[in-house]
Amino acid sequence: MGRTLPSITQAFIQEQAAFSRFRRALRRGDQLALDDLFASARQHLSAAAYAAHALPMETFLLSMLLEQHKEILRLRRQMAELIGSLDA
Amino acid sequence: MPDRVGWLLDLYEDTREGVVLWLIGDDGERWRLRQNFPVTFYAAGDLEQLRGLQRYLRTRPEKLRLYRTQRRDLFHDKPLTLLAIEMGAPIRQPRLFQQIADQFPDLDYYDADLNITLRHAARWGTFPLARCSVSVDDKGIVRELRVLDSPWDLDPFDVPLRVLSLKPDCDPAHAQPSVLIACHDGHEYRLSFQLERPLLINLRALLRRIDPDLLLTVNGDTWLLPLLLSLAKRHNLPLPFNRELGRGVLHKKEGTYFSYGQIIYRGQQILLYGRCHIDCRNAMMWQSYDLEGALESARITALPIQTAARVSPGTGISSMQITTALRSNILVPWRKQQIERPKTALDLIRFDQGGLVYQPIVGLHFDVGMIDFISMYPSIMVHSNISPETPFPDRLGSSDYPPGLIPLTLKPLLEKRIALKQRALSLPSWDPRRRKDKARSLAHKWLLVTCFGYLGYKNARFGRIEAHEAVTTWGREALLRAKEAAEEMGFRVLHMYVDGLWVQKDGCREPRDFQPLLEEVAVRTSLPISLDGVYRWVAFLHSRVDDRLPVPNSYFGVFQDGSVKARGIDLRRRDAAPFVADTQREMLHCLARAQNPADLQQQVPEAVDILRRRLAALNAGRVPLENLLVGKKLSKQLAGYRVLSPGARAVMQLQAAGKPVRPGQRVRLIFTRGGDGVHAWDLPYPPDLASVDVEHYQKLLLRAAANLLQPFGLNEDVLLVQVRADLGRQLELPLRAWRRRRPPMVFEFDPALYPAPYHQ
Repeated sequence: MGRTLPSITQAFIQEQAAFSRFRRALRRGDQLALDDLFASARQHLSAAAYAAHALPMETFLLSMLLEQHKEILRLRRQMAELIGSLDA
Repeated sequence: MPDRVGWLLDLYEDTREGVVLWLIGDDGERWRLRQNFPVTFYAAGDLEQLRGLQRYLRTRPEKLRLYRTQRRDLFHDKPLTLLAIEMGAPIRQPRLFQQIADQFPDLDYYDADLNITLRHAARWGTFPLARCSVSVDDKGIVRELRVLDSPWDLDPFDVPLRVLSLKPDCDPAHAQPSVLIACHDGHEYRLSFQLERPLLINLRALLRRIDPDLLLTVNGDTWLLPLLLSLAKRHNLPLPFNRELGRGVLHKKEGTYFSYGQIIYRGQQILLYGRCHIDCRNAMMWQSYDLEGALESARITALPIQTAARVSPGTGISSMQITTALRSNILVPWRKQQIERPKTALDLIRFDQGGLVYQPIVGLHFDVGMIDFISMYPSIMVHSNISPETPFPDRLGSSDYPPGLIPLTLKPLLEKRIALKQRALSLPSWDPRRRKDKARSLAHKWLLVTCFGYLGYKNARFGRIEAHEAVTTWGREALLRAKEAAEEMGFRVLHMYVDGLWVQKDGCREPRDFQPLLEEVAVRTSLPISLDGVYRWVAFLHSRVDDRLPVPNSYFGVFQDGSVKARGIDLRRRDAAPFVADTQREMLHCLARAQNPADLQQQVPEAVDILRRRLAALNAGRVPLENLLVGKKLSKQLAGYRVLSPGARAVMQLQAAGKPVRPGQRVRLIFTRGGDGVHAWDLPYPPDLASVDVEHYQKLLLRAAANLLQPFGLNEDVLLVQVRADLGRQLELPLRAWRRRRPPMVFEFDPALYPAPYHQ
């Protein structure tokens, strides 16, 4: 509907498509891991839209890092719990 | 000079001078009154050209009054100098204006193409079904007119309308109707189409005897009235559809247009003089708000009842803006000349955005509060005074400037909507006002929703893209402030969608637990906000294609009172077959019976059982064909399709049978095996029962069920395995045996299948 700019989802799909040659040349396992990264960036599309950054890919990369960091935190906590239960 | 009190039914241009008013008198009579009502329109521009126009107008045969005047254009700082053209016969104004515009295309025109009822509303405060007191002289000419009520009254008078409804005994697009069914006041009359003369004579007698104010028809615009009129002509037995004698009915051509990302088709229209004709099939949103809503939108937009029932809410809201402008002596431009001011790329990136739509936390959640801003965008326009002519607000809340045109138009509407909403909370469930309030509230809702769109619409007379952007900017700000408030108060924000938030907090179960949050948000945003309800449980769905991706507008849940709310799943989709939608609805209501998380697990096998029964019915051919109908909309001309969709193939079948379909029209079809893969329902011959593509419907049904059971860890494949094994056995048994021997509940709910939310 009369859009001047692509929506954030469109921008995201364009950015992802721009890496299709890169993805194609990866091994199957790496391709799946890359897909996970992009899927994690998608969790924050609304925040990326609100940020209205001139280079949206930077926001997407940061979103991937954010999800990675959350995962690390979660694993770290689980690890601490496991060690705790072993000590007990 | 007799005084008459009654309700204004219809108003239109007289064939000579002034206007005709039809009044439903308190005495039960229908009065035809005339009123002098000169109309004025304006031309502005190059002085030399204006002089030329003046010379030209002096040569015209119409009686005109020409004078110079000054008035305000919303988009100019200084008042404009204009040539005013006043004429006593409004009926001749459109033609005169057209000729002037052709001869002097470089001039700007104002107030030139306005509906007569809007002009009358601005001058006299009238609106359809307004209670009026009029003084009339001996010739039936109105000398004085007073309006005794207001469209903003919460309870309008119950106008004693005489209604005659006419409908054919079946859908004429599907088969040839044989009987015309006429209903009035609980009596039903059946007239055969085969006996043409008796049909016409009886119908004429009915129209004369009942003398209806409102003619409610099914397919009246597109089929029934054109047919009856042509029969009447052939047999030389004129039908008194009009109350006004000596005038033909008004035909308006069909059309297709593009709106809100959809192709919409409007059939031809037949409008009457002195009576109102509403075709339920051609009325906008009849399904959602029926006659009460149509009358309400006529009252508040001041458009004639017949028009208001047929036009989009967009036309309704611009009519309200035009009336406000006329009352405030602001010129209504004929064509908008406003263009967007240049912006930097960064500004564009910042402002060219819509509302905030979040990705929900996928899965099942218990005790969730849903809060939403009441009519968020209109509230922002009114509270922050956003209008094309007012400066861009720098904060949410009150403005230092006098209210602009848009806030002036919206304020009473918004206040009425909020008042009705508040009343809805206090009315007991048996109160008859509830249904009426709901229909009227829906009419308001659509007007308010489109008002925002019209701020940014390039052809809107009072639109300005920057005002449109300001509304979304402050909308995003309000939603984020609400999120911040919720998080600071310890709530978990599960989802946000433009003007609503789903929040959850341990120990918050009752509406009063959310009250402090509501108050805090109201303080921070200065916008009205309310609790939509507390969900016992709600499930946000992930994408069918990729289960890592949440979908913003796909969810379902159950409120504490047991009512169900669902969005984005088959039972809400207009193209879902009733059989599929009903099954999904039945399954959802089965799940909704659960009072707590433990119960919910119990209900899942029962829901799977419903699916199993429905699948068996499908396989045994026990589903009526009507329930398998799928409605598809034709979005473009057939030639535009590269790959023919099922809908397009059905359209081809219809065209081959001589029934053309226009873009925006819906075709109903059944999926069949072999050939085109579809059978258009409106073909003259019925589909072969054996050819129904049962497998395809199985697939659709499984997909719908899987959508619903997704939060419980079941997908299409698992479901298929679950139901197929015993389906095979059941089908070999006779029907009765299967009924007696209910299938065992092989399915157990496994909490381990419950998907972990993506991020914790």
